[in-house]
Amino acid sequence: MTQLFVNALIAGSLAALIAGGLSLVYGTLGVFNLALGQMVLLGGYVTWWLHQELHLPLLISIPGGLIFGALLSWFTFEVFVEPFWKRHRFLPLVTTIALSMMLDGLILLIFEERPRAILPGLKKTFEIIDARISFVQIILIVLTFILLALFAYVLHSTPFGRRIRAVVQHPHAAESLGIAAPKLNRIIFILSGVLAACGGIYQGIDQNLSPTIAFSITIKAYAAIIAGGKGHLWGAILCAYLIALLEQLAIGVPWFGGAYISAGYQQTVALAVIIVFLLLKPNGLFGTHLRSA
Amino acid sequence: MNFILHIIILACLTLIPALGYNMVFGKGKILHFGQEGISLIATYSLWALIVVKGFSYPSALAASVAATVLIALLFAWLSLRLEPDGFGVLSIAVHLMVLAIVLNWQEFTRGALGIPGIPRAPWPMDLTGFAVVVVIITLLWSIGIWWLDRGKFGRAIAALSEHPWHAQSLGIERSRVHTAAFLIAGAGSLLANILYPPYIFLLSPTDYMFPAMIFLAMIVVAGKPGSVKGTIMATFLLIALKEALRFVPLAPSILGPVRLILFGLILLGVVWWRKDSLFPQRRLV
Repeated sequence: MTQLFVNALIAGSLAALIAGGLSLVYGTLGVFNLALGQMVLLGGYVTWWLHQELHLPLLISIPGGLIFGALLSWFTFEVFVEPFWKRHRFLPLVTTIALSMMLDGLILLIFEERPRAILPGLKKTFEIIDARISFVQIILIVLTFILLALFAYVLHSTPFGRRIRAVVQHPHAAESLGIAAPKLNRIIFILSGVLAACGGIYQGIDQNLSPTIAFSITIKAYAAIIAGGKGHLWGAILCAYLIALLEQLAIGVPWFGGAYISAGYQQTVALAVIIVFLLLKPNGLFGTHLRSA
Repeated sequence: MNFILHIIILACLTLIPALGYNMVFGKGKILHFGQEGISLIATYSLWALIVVKGFSYPSALAASVAATVLIALLFAWLSLRLEPDGFGVLSIAVHLMVLAIVLNWQEFTRGALGIPGIPRAPWPMDLTGFAVVVVIITLLWSIGIWWLDRGKFGRAIAALSEHPWHAQSLGIERSRVHTAAFLIAGAGSLLANILYPPYIFLLSPTDYMFPAMIFLAMIVVAGKPGSVKGTIMATFLLIALKEALRFVPLAPSILGPVRLILFGLILLGVVWWRKDSLFPQRRLV
């Protein structure tokens, strides 16, 4: 049982990184980015390429992956989101599907279909309270917590963070107070791209990067956002961990008279969360209705 | 000649669900991305019952009609209950959920391998005869859709998509019109899936994955959302392009990704070109 919780902590940290940035984007722009999974993977793939192909040290490769993630999300915002979002809020849902197809094609052409690991080989594990965990995984979990804490500090204790929260809560009211909402929208989108690249690097270090996982990453992130309450950062992060735990419990404990559920159904947990929350609690666990004058 | 017949059959079998889907996504502006989920239910409830469970054709067809109606009604109910973008994401989730069940329920669906040996009977065995049947059915379906589009139903769904409150104040009932649109889309999926697996003698889940859904959406957007004529032209053009790409002298490992990039660019281009008709800005009264 402890192992299931440790596994959930590892998988949840990855999902929390991605869902955190995305929830801010949804809060400000109200758009769904269905190319998110591919953006996550590309951040990881670029880090892999710098480290494994160009043999650059990890401390240079990781910032390289993050810078690429920022540039890709900037490009995505300028070409696939902003020109369409201004016309209609739903158009980017279709344009980001187009982007996801293009990025899928590029990933297959450049990095091929086989799995790529940023740190290949067996990782040394040790036992904590009946659960096995590697040293690298501990570092990844701790770094995720530090990153999220830093994010929390910026968001809640700096003037920049207050401006972001104002735009998330009510863009028109924020603009009337002199906050440059369009500029902040762009910054938030880029920030979410950097967090997505962090997620890709995490995935590439902890496991493997494979083009087939892109869509399930997107679905899990949206499940966390919907369950946490659209635009609610901490709700999304908490729900990312909760969904990871549910996924582990779904296949890790015996159900229905001692039988185990096939591992093939693991990814349906996130889908079930989306369906259940949209039907029973569309505002999510922490979401509230926006007041209107 | 055989290749031309193949293109015609494939285009017709894509056009049937595309015309139905156009009523929901194109004409109704309902963000529905679960059409392939409906197709999966329709096709597996028909062919798995016949081939795997040994049901007779009429009883399996009756079960498939019932299952398709139920899933179409479910989607219609969900679309009425949720915000448009919430429904868009939920429809994707339902599709992927159905796909996950199909891939994992080995005893009934045979998983990722699909179901081979789909019988072509009662349709003609030879390619020309089969093509004639498919063309006739497609023609009848297209005329039916065109008639619906030009009639009271078409005007009602167009009015609802443009301004739901005003339409409802004129006595147009949203729940009835949307339910009818989803049932039409479901009927299109069922009709196409009565014919498609017998054509290739195989029911493969890979034909019903998310890229197939994107292809349907691309057809509707490229042909001008809501336009029956446009959907017909876009289907033939895009199917011809998709099949013609097979002759490009590139290795399959390169051709697949190139096709993805090309269709992604086409989708972006058509959304840019049709952005005013896909989700028009509301007219002020």
